[in-house]
Amino acid sequence: MNGMGERLGIRHVAWAIGIAVFLAIPHVVTDKFLMHLAILGMLYAIVASNWDLTLGYAGVFNFAHLAFFGIGAYTSGILAVKYGISPWLGIPAGGVTAALASILVSIPAIRLRGIYVALLTFACSQLVLLLLLSQPLITGGQQGLTGVPQLQIGDFLFRKSKFAHFYLVGFLLLCSTVFLRRLVTSDFGLSLIALRDFEEYAVARGIPLARQRLLAFLLSSIFPGLAGGVYAHFLIVASPDIFGFSLTTLLLSMVLVGGVATIYGPVLVGVVMTFVSELMATSAWMSDVFGISRGPVRFMFVAVLIVLTMRFFPEGIWGLIKRFSTRARNAQGTATEEQSEIT
Amino acid sequence: MTLEALVAIIAGGLVSGSLYALMASGLSLVWGTVRMFNFAHGALVMVGAYSAWYVSNRGGIAKALQPIGKSIVANGEEAGALGGLLLPLGEWILSIKGGFGLALGVPFAILCCGLVGYIMYVLLVKPFVSKPGADLVVIITTIAGASFMQNGVQVIFGPRYKQLDRILKGPPLQILETAIGLQEVLIIVLTPLTLFLLHLFLKHSKLGLAIRAVAQNDDFAHLVGINVSQIYPLTFVVSSILAGLCGVMLGGLFFILPTMGAQELLFAFVVVVFGGLGSLPGTIVGAYVIGFIRESSAYIIDLYWAPVVLFATLIIVLIFRPRGLMGGEDS
Repeated sequence: MNGMGERLGIRHVAWAIGIAVFLAIPHVVTDKFLMHLAILGMLYAIVASNWDLTLGYAGVFNFAHLAFFGIGAYTSGILAVKYGISPWLGIPAGGVTAALASILVSIPAIRLRGIYVALLTFACSQLVLLLLLSQPLITGGQQGLTGVPQLQIGDFLFRKSKFAHFYLVGFLLLCSTVFLRRLVTSDFGLSLIALRDFEEYAVARGIPLARQRLLAFLLSSIFPGLAGGVYAHFLIVASPDIFGFSLTTLLLSMVLVGGVATIYGPVLVGVVMTFVSELMATSAWMSDVFGISRGPVRFMFVAVLIVLTMRFFPEGIWGLIKRFSTRARNAQGTATEEQSEIT
Repeated sequence: MTLEALVAIIAGGLVSGSLYALMASGLSLVWGTVRMFNFAHGALVMVGAYSAWYVSNRGGIAKALQPIGKSIVANGEEAGALGGLLLPLGEWILSIKGGFGLALGVPFAILCCGLVGYIMYVLLVKPFVSKPGADLVVIITTIAGASFMQNGVQVIFGPRYKQLDRILKGPPLQILETAIGLQEVLIIVLTPLTLFLLHLFLKHSKLGLAIRAVAQNDDFAHLVGINVSQIYPLTFVVSSILAGLCGVMLGGLFFILPTMGAQELLFAFVVVVFGGLGSLPGTIVGAYVIGFIRESSAYIIDLYWAPVVLFATLIIVLIFRPRGLMGGEDS
């Protein structure tokens, strides 16, 4: 990791500017709806970037990821609605149950290969949905769990303030992103990439396949579980729609369009994509063209975007940015060792 | 357990098993031949049900045509010679107020599903088929396709539930004091027949033999002059038609809505993993086994816990046989 001093400096400046801009946003943006979208976008960005750990870095066809998010939402929601437990305990509890669920899913999943993993994890997430729907007295069934209490500290209601939700979710996103970036550039992250790219050789070099994959599942489930809890209290509802094809497609598009195995890509596109899809759902132009049912149209748009991305930009937006920046650096003749290009 | 309960479980197991078999055999066929997994298979079930409903039901195309028929009849009398020709057409349109019935609805559903299957292959599968890592990419593109179709159908038909007419009308059959609906009986009888036709097609027709040849070894199939690039879409079309038939049968049992098929897809996944991907006999046996396990656990334990029992079975099978009961070697 030597020879990076100069770039590390630039990176620090970029982080500082980013955080300053972030802190200023609620003071500049006055539109309530835009702030709502920003918060939602950051929550989705957390889920998408954590998905990148299993899907992108570990190369595991994990389609149970949205279930971790949903489990977090339902855990905190049920604890608050049925047992009157404070959200500040419920949200961490959501992280814990999501982590437990990820262990349960990964035990059979790490034994399998390729397509079988996709089938099993997909079936697992649908099983969670069936279980939730089967207990309508606890979970609210098809209508979802309503009446989830808002976040508050003492008498201070988060909903009343412009900053509270935004800063809370932003802090969570920051923690999650730093955590993920640290993770993927650590030895653990390298071992995941090695297992993905050349499994036999990596195993021959002594990397424990089952343990690393289980850890990848576990570590990628905690933040989505926490985000799920915040999501339920933010929207004051936990809905079974979380497990549907539509949201899965939306989140998948964030990972893919952002760029697989980049972390930053899904974070960035997670926020952007939320704005695009939600604004499509509410814009007057869309309602003029498509009549009343404009909500579903945005998911059709997202679906088309995914297929086009897979067809023409399989490395995603962040991949494109990186390719151009690498090319520019090479042109300047300052290409340093590729060692620092671990992603 | 009483005799009636046993009959009910057997009948229920046969119905679920039939539906799973129709769906899972299509999935297995595509996996065996193209080496791709179609996550939009459940959406094809939904397309089959909706297209059959659109033609057969009075709320579908018949309703959409009524204003045209009325205006022809209203204006026809004044239009002279041309009106004389158009008038019967207008009267005919007015006479089909009740829809075209399933006699036209089912063939239309088959046609629709075949077409959608072909379009899906061209747009979602063909561009990626020869690239490395294509299996994951195709999962993603077909999930996108499923979302596109579900939401598209919701835009066209709205979110309200629909129901298909039952093919056979009449009182339920009484077997040992247990009532079994005629639709259920029809499903139990027709599915093995359909699967037998599929068997004949694969074993004895030239195209079917070509599909099996490609499934066994596509390089050698190419060498003996089989056009592999035509066999892939053909397999998709056949599999989509099977899904569409499943949709027509489901539509007579339950309500039709844009998200239908997702739960059946889940059970079809369990079936193909249980039976072994790519093995058609394994898939069909697996479908009926899963159907019986589901019905008996629903009866003995609880309807809502049936999926859990199924899932536990699946995980146990996977621990001892990671490629399913009859799954062969994998590439």
